[in-house]
Amino acid sequence: MKKTVDVSIPLGPIHPCFKEPARVKCETKGEFVTGAEVELGYMKKGIERIMKGRPWQEVMFLAERVCGICSVIHNMVFIEALEKMSGIEVPERAALLRVVVNELDRMQSHTLANFSYCYTIEHETLGMYLLDMREKVMDLLELITGARVTCAYIVPGGVRFDLREEDRESLLASLDAIETDVRRYMGMFEGGSLIGLRSRDIGILSKEAALEAHAVGPTARASGMPEIDRRLQHPTYQKLQFTPVSRDGCDNFSRIMIRFDELLQSIELIRRCSALLPEGPVRGGGIPGAGEIVYCGEAPRGELTYFIKTDDAGRILDISIQTPSIMNIEACCHYMLKDAASIADVPSTFVSADPCIACTER
Amino acid sequence: MSAVIYEKDLTAMKYAILVSGRHDRVVREIAADLQVGVQQLRRYIIRHFDMMLMENIPARYEAGKKDDSLMEPVARELGMELYTRYIPLFGKKQIEPVIDEVEMLVAEGKPEEEAIRIGKAMLGEVLSR
Amino acid sequence: MTLLQSIKNYVRSKSIHVSYVDVGSCNGCDIEVLACLAPRYDIEQYGIYVHNNPREADILLVIGAYTPGWEEKLEMVWNKIPEPKVAIAIGNCPISGCLFNRPHTYIDPPVSKHIPIAASVPGCPPRPTEILNAVLSLAPVVFKDYEVKKR
Ligand code: SF4
Repeated sequence: MKKTVDVSIPLGPIHPCFKEPARVKCETKGEFVTGAEVELGYMKKGIERIMKGRPWQEVMFLAERVCGICSVIHNMVFIEALEKMSGIEVPERAALLRVVVNELDRMQSHTLANFSYCYTIEHETLGMYLLDMREKVMDLLELITGARVTCAYIVPGGVRFDLREEDRESLLASLDAIETDVRRYMGMFEGGSLIGLRSRDIGILSKEAALEAHAVGPTARASGMPEIDRRLQHPTYQKLQFTPVSRDGCDNFSRIMIRFDELLQSIELIRRCSALLPEGPVRGGGIPGAGEIVYCGEAPRGELTYFIKTDDAGRILDISIQTPSIMNIEACCHYMLKDAASIADVPSTFVSADPCIACTER
Repeated sequence: MSAVIYEKDLTAMKYAILVSGRHDRVVREIAADLQVGVQQLRRYIIRHFDMMLMENIPARYEAGKKDDSLMEPVARELGMELYTRYIPLFGKKQIEPVIDEVEMLVAEGKPEEEAIRIGKAMLGEVLSR
Repeated sequence: MTLLQSIKNYVRSKSIHVSYVDVGSCNGCDIEVLACLAPRYDIEQYGIYVHNNPREADILLVIGAYTPGWEEKLEMVWNKIPEPKVAIAIGNCPISGCLFNRPHTYIDPPVSKHIPIAASVPGCPPRPTEILNAVLSLAPVVFKDYEVKKR
């Protein structure tokens, strides 16, 4: 909105702390930030426009490239939407393997988010520890799917590869090591007094504001809304007796801690999956047909929704994607950044909401 | 040189956001609701909203539709919460006189539906000004 | 070659400042560049320092497929980098537009239309080791005898 302010300080598009181009224009009174606006347009590729009129075999890969950080969930939601639409059954083993890969993806995404936050508040040591741990998770992802990013593991009616027995063992062994690491880093983050000074009671997002901006994912769960988790509606997760975690600190600190909590939770989920894993095929087959559907899934950053309409040959007639970052960044810049005590808190607060500009603009 | 970096004309980018599938549907819905032209509403939104808010319009619209905390029927039907808090098209000052007017019409014995339609048209007036 | 020049060559090959700019990618390449920072690859042991300040950079990593928002701005960023400088394209996006280069898209690849690109690392996304390898093998070649070549 057009307003006259004391000083408008722009951050970005190229900023040492932001990994992606976005411009945050802060309206300030002295050091005090009274409001912020975000200017986008640096990443607009028009994916939804490209997708229209293309066969699903092609759109599958485009969907994965909406966001490179959480590519598995985009793949999963798109394929599961097609499956639900045309009534394709998924073998039990494949359904569990999907959850394994999805949780690994969530782990690497959460670690990356926490790394960015630590890096932004200049706690480089912890950041590097986390980045090292992320590499271990990436190795596991590569072990199962064959690629680090954009692995296209999930196909209609199943998954691409089976998990071999020896791989399952090494997966479980690595998870043990990762869990020890996570607990250690969690203790470091929780106990660090300087970290506490930079993160506690900064960037408050109250529950009302979170509801208003429709915030989702860890950002909303850190404001005490566990029921926002879409995994509760997913049949496989229901079978695994999934219960979401939440915190009610509403500040940067809770948002980072809840990601650590979810890391542990993901590890637990993968263990449960691997214990349940039955023998059997991983690929049932099936061809998507005509239909229209709205399908949601829980991405690492929150609720991801696909609106899809296809014709008989499986071509996409109409598609729109609502990614979690849209809501979270909006909540961040219009509620959290308001009343920040100093400009120095702006990048860290912005990063704590785990912004992903690529999927915001698509 | 820095002039270009710091103030670029964003209208084209903002328009690109507004015409993508879901946003277009929501904007058309609002325009029909307020009885203004689609282009007029787009122009108003482009002028007054920042890009992040524009991206979030569909989600906010849904959240606003779901919210039924407001009890007064006239204000709710007019979308008091929806159009001031969720999609901040109007300020409180702009919408309150309209609510008063509609309440007066209802008190005078006009059927509620018609009164609300008149009220919405009045809100639409504000946009096209 | 003068003594001064050989000292310069040596120093330049051991201290490379890298800046990266994302001109409309899917983020996949972005995080692979970040992963180079991880202690496993440890980019700093080669004297490469990654930060995001074009004004101090020697090497610019370009990621992504050139969206309209970067019109004029990418050139501006490129002009701000002091000589000697070089740009490397990371991933398929800046080379061909990857799979975004279809009808109705907003992007405008290749990036080499807009700024001179010295090398490219194909892959969707390339592995961190490949990125590292590209930076390490390109830097000494380009920065060697810079003053002599300029004359
Ligand atoms: S090359 Fe592939 S992974 Fe890299 S930014 Fe482009 S689409 Fe993403």
